[in-house]
Amino acid sequence: MNESGVLRASLAIAAAGFLALLAYSALHALDYGEEEAYSRDLRRVQAATAELNERVLKSRSALLSQYDPLVHALRDLHALHERLKRVPEFLGRSAALDMRARLRDSEAQLQQKDELVEDFKTQNSVLQNSLHYFPILANSVIDRARVTPAGATVASRIQALISAIMLFDTAADTESTSRVQSAQVELSNAKQAAQELQLNHELELILAHSQIILERKPLTDGLVKQILAVPLPRIALALEEAYSLHYRSATDRALILRQILFGLASITIVLGLTDVILRLRRSALALELATGELRQANAALAREREKERQLGELKTRFVSMTSHEFRTPLSVIVSSTDLLENYSDRWDAERRSDHLERIRSAAGSMDRMLDDILLIGRAEAGVLRASPAQLNLDEFCRNLVESLEHSSGRSHSIRYSFSGDPQVTLDERLLSEVVGNLLSNALKYSPTGSQVDFDVDANDEQCKFAVEDRGIGIPEADIPRLFVSFFRAGNANQIKGSGLGLAVVQKALDVQNGTIEVQSRLGQGTKFVVLVPRDLGPLAASKSSSNEL
Amino acid sequence: MTRNRPVISSVRCLAAVFVSLTVLACLNLFGCGLHEKRHESEPVELDSLGEQPIEPLPLTVDFDVAQAALGEILFAEPRLSGDSKVACTDCHHAEHGWADDQPHSRVVGRPESPVNVPTMYNVRFLYKLSWGGKYESLEAHIDALMTNPKVMASSWEIATQHLSELSSYRQLFAAVFRDGLTPSNLRQAILDYERSLVTPNAPFDRYLRGNAQAVSPEAKQGYALFKSYGCASCHQGMAIGGNVFERLGVLRNFFDDRGHFDNADLGRFNITKREQDRFVFRVPSLRNVALTAPYFHDGSAATLEDAVTTMASYQLGRELSEPDRSAVVAFLRSLTGEYRGNSL
Repeated sequence: MNESGVLRASLAIAAAGFLALLAYSALHALDYGEEEAYSRDLRRVQAATAELNERVLKSRSALLSQYDPLVHALRDLHALHERLKRVPEFLGRSAALDMRARLRDSEAQLQQKDELVEDFKTQNSVLQNSLHYFPILANSVIDRARVTPAGATVASRIQALISAIMLFDTAADTESTSRVQSAQVELSNAKQAAQELQLNHELELILAHSQIILERKPLTDGLVKQILAVPLPRIALALEEAYSLHYRSATDRALILRQILFGLASITIVLGLTDVILRLRRSALALELATGELRQANAALAREREKERQLGELKTRFVSMTSHEFRTPLSVIVSSTDLLENYSDRWDAERRSDHLERIRSAAGSMDRMLDDILLIGRAEAGVLRASPAQLNLDEFCRNLVESLEHSSGRSHSIRYSFSGDPQVTLDERLLSEVVGNLLSNALKYSPTGSQVDFDVDANDEQCKFAVEDRGIGIPEADIPRLFVSFFRAGNANQIKGSGLGLAVVQKALDVQNGTIEVQSRLGQGTKFVVLVPRDLGPLAASKSSSNEL
Repeated sequence: MTRNRPVISSVRCLAAVFVSLTVLACLNLFGCGLHEKRHESEPVELDSLGEQPIEPLPLTVDFDVAQAALGEILFAEPRLSGDSKVACTDCHHAEHGWADDQPHSRVVGRPESPVNVPTMYNVRFLYKLSWGGKYESLEAHIDALMTNPKVMASSWEIATQHLSELSSYRQLFAAVFRDGLTPSNLRQAILDYERSLVTPNAPFDRYLRGNAQAVSPEAKQGYALFKSYGCASCHQGMAIGGNVFERLGVLRNFFDDRGHFDNADLGRFNITKREQDRFVFRVPSLRNVALTAPYFHDGSAATLEDAVTTMASYQLGRELSEPDRSAVVAFLRSLTGEYRGNSL
């Protein structure tokens, strides 16, 4: 069935689509744990950056005495970036690519920050040491130098350098820079005096530390500014925003996917149910059909059996009826013959001829009966054929009426009429069986002296024969079996007859494609109407006769 | 409890987890009480109760015991090298604090090492390895050394092939690793061994944890000087160094005074090629420093005293008095920790 094929195919497609989507959605399922960890890591990039910046500032201000916290903060940031590269599966490939590109950007900035922090640590270590040690050293030299007048100059110049450095430490501008530089020059010029005081090495050290501060403070501060200026937080923020956008589109996709999944599941279920229902219905139908066929076959078989039975019955009855019907004229013949043999010499001629007439009549009736039986037998054996020939119907009917009137001794008056074209092509013998039987029945079953109407009408297509009597009529219950051999109506028992006449009529009509209708009112009369095709082709006749078997 | 003894065990085995949990539980339960008791009986002598530039090493670390044990065997295995002649222990001597007592390592069939070989102890706490800070991780370091033609002249595949010829190694690896002897398992075993080389509980760490009697008064004075001289501006953190790069010779030119200089003296410059990184080295960790003579990248300081004098002079511009120097050295000696529960 094509329809069910389409249904199955769409069911398979829907189911396959459903399963594929299910697998896809399972693979790209939104893992809330993963999502949470990822967004937490994203937020932590900002926090870790802030922490790193804070630690750098603390280191610069000597509030942090070790660099491990800086190293750890950077390591955390690197680890965060590594983790963030594993973008959650459910975001999709393009989102992952976008995130990774942004992360590469962020990592490049982090790398730069890493290098800046590295330089900062290197510079800051030395700077912090000098910032710490320079005033201690300088003050101790001042204390030692102050004791001599020559040392006082050195002391005051060192003091001037301390002041210059202090100023420089607070505001490292050009003015304070040049002030430090001139104080350094002043102090260098006092080397001679220092040598005398055996402080030349300390003086060199003071100058060296002040030089370190002068050089490294702007450098270190510049590095701090650069570290703080690395746009890592901005990138991290953009990263977070991009992520939330990707997340939203991913959840939107997931929602759509879920709806499609739901739709596909519904379609699959509906199609599946439809398929099941159709299959059930089809099998019920098939069952019904099979049952029907079986029932029909059964009925046909029963009919066949019944027909056979009826046929068998008919044959039995036929044989018994035939033998019975033959016995009557035979007994007449036997008794008349016996009588004639014993008493013919004693009887007068009239009486002898009377018995001879009886014998002849009985033999004649047997002959007719035999003709009828033979005709019926031939019809039932399928060998009865119509042999149509040119015929003047009017003439044929008139002769028939005359011969019947004659044989019946003019006991009834037959009113005959003919209309239409009398030239027809029909089987004369069969037609005479039909019309003769109908007319003789009409005479037989109507009271003497009554009138029988015989109207023939031959139009362009068919001939219509109507025979109407005013006789005893036929009981309505007997009409269906009227044309069965040896059947005789209930009210006909008193009247001699074989019960073959109408059966012969029927058989003769069958081979001529004719029909017969009967209208009867009990006690008032019967009317038979026969219709026969006007022109009987030889083929039509044979076909019709074989049908009857 | 276990506070005075290091508990080094594996996280991979449940027992270790259990022990760690027990330790943690005990610390939680009794830590507070112990702390208070110490305040009463042993006054903390640290000059500042606030933040110190040095932190003690953790008492426990995570590593796989079985893999580390296998790694220890491999560490002395010359079949790791391409010519099956050089083992890790040829340069890293256990008896010299896993460093070399020679300024430059001399191994048969190999050129002399351009720098002094540093210690393997506590490498897991270093964030960059080698004098120039070339390697960012132990993995990167060991991979480079394996393939370096001047060192192992090998590869993990070659070493695996060498080892697979011995059934004992096949059996050992099969016992430790599910997939037996493979290049990556070989590497992993050595890495686990390296990560197991931790020396906690040095006298000074015990002092930092509150045990005032753990170090001598001289060492305590040395620590104060160490901070005031400015040593601690570079040598700080858990490893007492190892987390910052610094130029060798801040206030005086080290190489001018030494008289010669070679490529290895360029230090970090060799890696970054930045002018400012010329003569810049990774500040080495001072953990177990008493064990790892000679000192500096060139091994030019034969003793701890020499090293302290050189550092004070070139980095800080100081000439230390003899008592000050020996105090600082006493402090440095208190940094020698324990390995597997034994003082080194």
